[in-house]
Amino acid sequence: CTGQLDVTPNDPDVILVDDFYTTPESYKQGLAGVYGNLSLTGPSGPGSSSIQGLDAGTSQYGRGLWNLNELASDGAVWSWENDPGLRSLNRNTWSATNPILRGMFGRLMNSVSYANEYLRQTTDGALNDRGVDDATRADIQVYRAEARFLRAMAYYNMMDLFGQAPMITEDDPVGAYQAPKADRAELFAYVESELLAILPEMAEPLMNEYARADKAAAWMLLAKIYLNAEVYIGQDRYADCLSYCEDIIAAGFELTPDYLMNFMADNDETVARNEIIFPVVSDGITTQNYGPTTVMINGQVGSTEANGGDFGVAAGGWGGALRVTQQFSEVFMNGSYGTDDRNTLITADRTIEVSDIADRSTGYIIGKWSNKTSGGANGSANEIVDTDFPMFRLADVYLMYAEAHLRGGGGSATTAVGYINDLRTRANNPNTIGQSALTLDLILDERQVELHWEAHRRQDLIRFGKYTGSAYNWSWKGNAPNGIPLGAHMAIYPIPEASLAANPNLTQNPGY
Amino acid sequence: QTMTVRGVVSAASDGGTLPGVTVSVKNTTRGTFTNAEGRYELSVNAGDVLVFSFVGFETLEKTVATGTLDVVMAETAQALGDVVVIGYGTTNIKDATGSMEAISEEDFNKGNIVTPESLLNGRVAGLTINQGGEPGAGSTIRIRGGASLNASNDPLIIINGLPIENTSVGGSRSVLSSLNPNEIESFTVLKDASATAIYGSRASNGVIIITTKEAQDQLNITLGMQTNVSQLANKFDVFSADEYRELINERRPDLVGDLGDANTDWQEEIYRTGVSTNFNLSAEGSLFGKVPTRIGLNRTDQEGIRLTSEFERSAATLNMRPSFFDDALKVSVNVNYSLEKNRFASGQEGNAITFDPTQPVYDEESPFGGYFQYYQDNNDGVWDVNDLTPFAAWNPVANLMQTENRSTVNRVFGNIKLDYTLPFFPELTATVNLGYDEQSGEGFSRTSNESPVTQPPDQLFLGSSSEYTSYRVNRLFDGYLRYAKELTRFNVEGTVGYSFQKFKDDNWSSGELLNDQEDSEPVYNVSPDLVLIGLFGRANLSMDNKYFLTLSYRADGTSRFAEDNRWGYFPAAAVSWKINEDLFPDSDVFSTMKIRAGWGITGQQDIGDRDIYLPRYSIGLPTSQYQFGNQVLQVGVPIFRNDVIKWEETMTTNIGVDFGLFNDRFFGSVEYFYKESKDLLTNSAIADGSNFSNAGIQNLGNFTTQGVEFSINGDIIRSNEGFNWNVNYNTTFITQEITKLALGADILAGGIAGGTGGNIQLHRVGYSPYMFYVHKQVYDETGMPIEGAYADLNGDNVINDEDRYLHRNGIPDVTMGFLSNMNYKNWNLSFNLRAALGQYNYNNVNSVNAQLANIKLNNVLSNIPVSTLDSEFEITENVITSDYYIEEASYLKLDNITLGYNFTNPWFKGMKGANLSAGVQNVFVITNYSGIDPEVFNNGIDNTIYPRARTYFLALKFNF
Repeated sequence: CTGQLDVTPNDPDVILVDDFYTTPESYKQGLAGVYGNLSLTGPSGPGSSSIQGLDAGTSQYGRGLWNLNELASDGAVWSWENDPGLRSLNRNTWSATNPILRGMFGRLMNSVSYANEYLRQTTDGALNDRGVDDATRADIQVYRAEARFLRAMAYYNMMDLFGQAPMITEDDPVGAYQAPKADRAELFAYVESELLAILPEMAEPLMNEYARADKAAAWMLLAKIYLNAEVYIGQDRYADCLSYCEDIIAAGFELTPDYLMNFMADNDETVARNEIIFPVVSDGITTQNYGPTTVMINGQVGSTEANGGDFGVAAGGWGGALRVTQQFSEVFMNGSYGTDDRNTLITADRTIEVSDIADRSTGYIIGKWSNKTSGGANGSANEIVDTDFPMFRLADVYLMYAEAHLRGGGGSATTAVGYINDLRTRANNPNTIGQSALTLDLILDERQVELHWEAHRRQDLIRFGKYTGSAYNWSWKGNAPNGIPLGAHMAIYPIPEASLAANPNLTQNPGY
Repeated sequence: QTMTVRGVVSAASDGGTLPGVTVSVKNTTRGTFTNAEGRYELSVNAGDVLVFSFVGFETLEKTVATGTLDVVMAETAQALGDVVVIGYGTTNIKDATGSMEAISEEDFNKGNIVTPESLLNGRVAGLTINQGGEPGAGSTIRIRGGASLNASNDPLIIINGLPIENTSVGGSRSVLSSLNPNEIESFTVLKDASATAIYGSRASNGVIIITTKEAQDQLNITLGMQTNVSQLANKFDVFSADEYRELINERRPDLVGDLGDANTDWQEEIYRTGVSTNFNLSAEGSLFGKVPTRIGLNRTDQEGIRLTSEFERSAATLNMRPSFFDDALKVSVNVNYSLEKNRFASGQEGNAITFDPTQPVYDEESPFGGYFQYYQDNNDGVWDVNDLTPFAAWNPVANLMQTENRSTVNRVFGNIKLDYTLPFFPELTATVNLGYDEQSGEGFSRTSNESPVTQPPDQLFLGSSSEYTSYRVNRLFDGYLRYAKELTRFNVEGTVGYSFQKFKDDNWSSGELLNDQEDSEPVYNVSPDLVLIGLFGRANLSMDNKYFLTLSYRADGTSRFAEDNRWGYFPAAAVSWKINEDLFPDSDVFSTMKIRAGWGITGQQDIGDRDIYLPRYSIGLPTSQYQFGNQVLQVGVPIFRNDVIKWEETMTTNIGVDFGLFNDRFFGSVEYFYKESKDLLTNSAIADGSNFSNAGIQNLGNFTTQGVEFSINGDIIRSNEGFNWNVNYNTTFITQEITKLALGADILAGGIAGGTGGNIQLHRVGYSPYMFYVHKQVYDETGMPIEGAYADLNGDNVINDEDRYLHRNGIPDVTMGFLSNMNYKNWNLSFNLRAALGQYNYNNVNSVNAQLANIKLNNVLSNIPVSTLDSEFEITENVITSDYYIEEASYLKLDNITLGYNFTNPWFKGMKGANLSAGVQNVFVITNYSGIDPEVFNNGIDNTIYPRARTYFLALKFNF
């Protein structure tokens, strides 16, 4: 009877890999699984997670990016400091045991392993074995390029946040493979070469299905690594950045007439699609996750205002989970942005200072994000939102162009000023600028005003030399109410202790 | 014709005389007791039947013929020297080489016994049973602390040779709740590897063998009835309504306007006095004069003290023991059927602790079924969740009363055992045991549309409704041959066999039935089959009835692992020596002295997942899809796999001494054990990017457990006035240490309430598992803790997670059980005590509630623990990881006290006897712990439990 020991899954939702890849549709479902890692935390609802060591919802890809860029900077404070790891992000006191860092490290590398698995299952050999027809094979070639894009994006985030990563491709085994370490320079080269290699396979800009990456998404990622190349590898690549920005802008994307439409429940259906270059999908019914849009919309609801009804969620939201720092508010209140659509600060009965993180009536709150549609209807559920998260959007490209130009990347000052003014005009801000006002300081403020709470802030502050050190102190920076300088090592996160133990080829970042 | 009868009563084991034996004339009130020399004298009529009864001995009946009647009484099963059931056979405990303990009916705990494990809680050294408070509750059962970190630590439970699953079917309270405790004959607890290794792969956590009552030839009918009244024993100390008003006046005068006018003790309101009844009827006798048959019927109706919770069990058992071919073929058939019905009540303790005591339970104007709730119409024309006060707590009484969560579980289990002794080769017996266990549960949960709790997407108050079914079946085939031969100086016994067992289960849940959305579609969860195959053998050799050797070996295959790692091999060996017979045969003190030593390896494969080694994809639920264009796709994602996973192994060494003193009037054991588990199946980090998760089950880590157990039983008093006092005491010292983890990395454990996903425990090499992982609180010169001030243990001037340290754990260092049983004539008084020392709890109730800011955290007032005033802490976030909340939770509990009276003269024709007893369950707890009960679950994290009630009971039992 020993043959009885060979069992197979009986569950309709858990099947052997060869039973999964049986139809043309299954290859698309497999690709959706790789994309899904950006949004879903696990296959069994928003409480499930493929990543361990932290709360399932907190392990969401975009939420990790958001936490590590906004909470760890002047972008926002998280009121519930009980939530593991959040206190030390708020206060820049993290260590290698921080569960959110472990979760983000694992989540990003999960994108790598999902993409690698997809590439393994779609080799010519595998497709031959399964007798896949030519039409499907043609689609699969594009799918494979997109899987590689997602892998490159994960490595870009690894390079940005952790400064190193285990280098694993589809040629490596599944199991407990301890991959060699790639440092920032190696990651930079890898991401660049992968993106350049897949470009010919990617769909033309705006020609792919919504939420799937196209050439513009790859260009955007290239522009991002070139813009930050000085931070990553000490090289000036602003010209390359600017050149890709031009490609994107020329590809037909358009600013949404109403700034806030980009951040609404129907931003996957309206003209916001023409501004959003690459979204991460969320849906209150079919794509449930506790990702950045759900966190921001529930989190931005004030504890005393109970204004969730304005944003299509329960009146109390998450009880005032998020507020902004004093320095964040001051940028909006400096005169140029008083009537700007992008200024959604809610200030009544609140102090501008966040004197006590646990006191949710201190500090201003904002109302940028919403689970209401542009027509005013509520999203499909009242906690998990329908609002997609724009990972990349055109406004960022405008600002990157201007910045790359200022940093010597070429292009034209007139064009750069025009882009800034386009953004201001779109936001009904009458204070357009002239060429003389175009400075890096202005760019940094303009980026905050335009792109706040979109998971860019930490990266921006680092590129502008204002994150560590004493050039800029925001409240609770370094765990002091008025902020104190941070050590230079804090510009890169530590390698999580568990990840380091599981792969000794990695090395702890200096200073930790 | 009246005459005087005289005689001496002596014990069969050693011939010693027995003082204090009750000698009565059957069916009369006449009787006497034997004196100090074991003599008695009684006036009788010729032909009367004398009944000799004495604790620890089989009751004996003799007809008076002449003036002298000497009798020899045989000890009953509790004493040394009885046959006990072990794996695939029996042994004589006097000759046993392994560490095992048999508990039979006489030693069972008394009182309000609903589930089988209550019968032996506290009775056996090394066995801890942590039973829940809900009606029909299951228990966390540990033998010698368990052997695993992440795999199961539950012992293997075997009922009449049929191993049962250690998780219950959906809708059932526990794996044992369907078993009628009244039909249990005995438990054998196998503790060391030499006793358990015959069960190989499932034996690492010890084995509990349950044997149900076997039919006897003599006609015997018993009827038992019991009534219980249960009440709340203890409450968490929060402010009463008046104290709360005072607190608000004093501390937060700005909030006085929020106070209500009522005086509500919410902890009183969510409980009730529970009434329970229990009926048992059993009848046995020889059917057609040939087939011993026993039928047992049980009906238990139990009301929990938490409002609405209920447990009902109707159980029938049948045992038949026909034999054929001049007893060459013996057949034993056990069939058990049970119908379990439950109503579950969700935990509202936390809510009751914090709900504002100045608000009423009921509010006539409330649109929520007349229950008080926090709401205000926002006048937007729709009555929906936006009219509720955001973040206000729900009325805990309403939560209980407005939800109906019921289940029905049908279970049929049993076995057919055939023993065939070859007529021409009587040394050889062939046994086949076929077992079957099928359970199907179904249930539903409905919440009224008058409850504000459910909030479907359209945000109207719809209520909620869902259903589920759950099904499990397990089939067993065991076949083995036993050879036994007695020679002049040697006894030889050998057993070889084969075992096959297959488990199936599937589960279905409807999703939300009142909400027609994709996230409310039914969900099926079907596990892969689990198949376990074993080949085993055992040899017992003895010489001169003084020297004993046992060898056993099992090869086990499991479908949980890939082909290369599927088979595990589990050897064991043990020796024992009756040392007194060689060294001090004439000792007056030591009547028995046996030294035992055993060694063996056992395995573990119970990791939950049944196919973790296979390359699998998971298809996303309807809630976990991804959108491409306007199309929503079910995602397919690879699942973590480990194709090199293999057996976790535990090597156990055991050395013990069994002793009997003063003609075995006292007997007991002392033993030392050392267990080393290696290749632990631990859920630990895996190299990021190498698999489809950042962690999963891997064979990484080692873990040791060592301990000492001591037990003693005996008669402290055997008086000739008919007074006897028998006691049983046992104690266990255990220490555990993690000796290796995956690459030395710590593993967080122990999730807590307060925040999302917080942990308060850690596994670290060199420490016990489940140590609390906390910050070291700093105190001011007056001894007050300083809020948020922790010691900078690593000296880097930053207080962060790096400054947490390992401090105490929730596992007791020492546990003890003490049973006392006193008899005086027809009276019986028994009680049992249980204690745990060196146990600490993390008081999660205080750590999230006992801060002043919680008085008004959101929009309504909340009660807080009175102990908040001891710390004066303000904000939960600042203190939740403080060691301030680690409290000593050692305890002494009087679990039960029972007074009984035996009626020996019949009240009516046909009655042989009756017993009336009354008592109290959960009488008192002595502890310094500030929570409601120091005995919690989750390795010492106290986040409220279903309170264990204090129960008063009255029972009457008839024999016919």
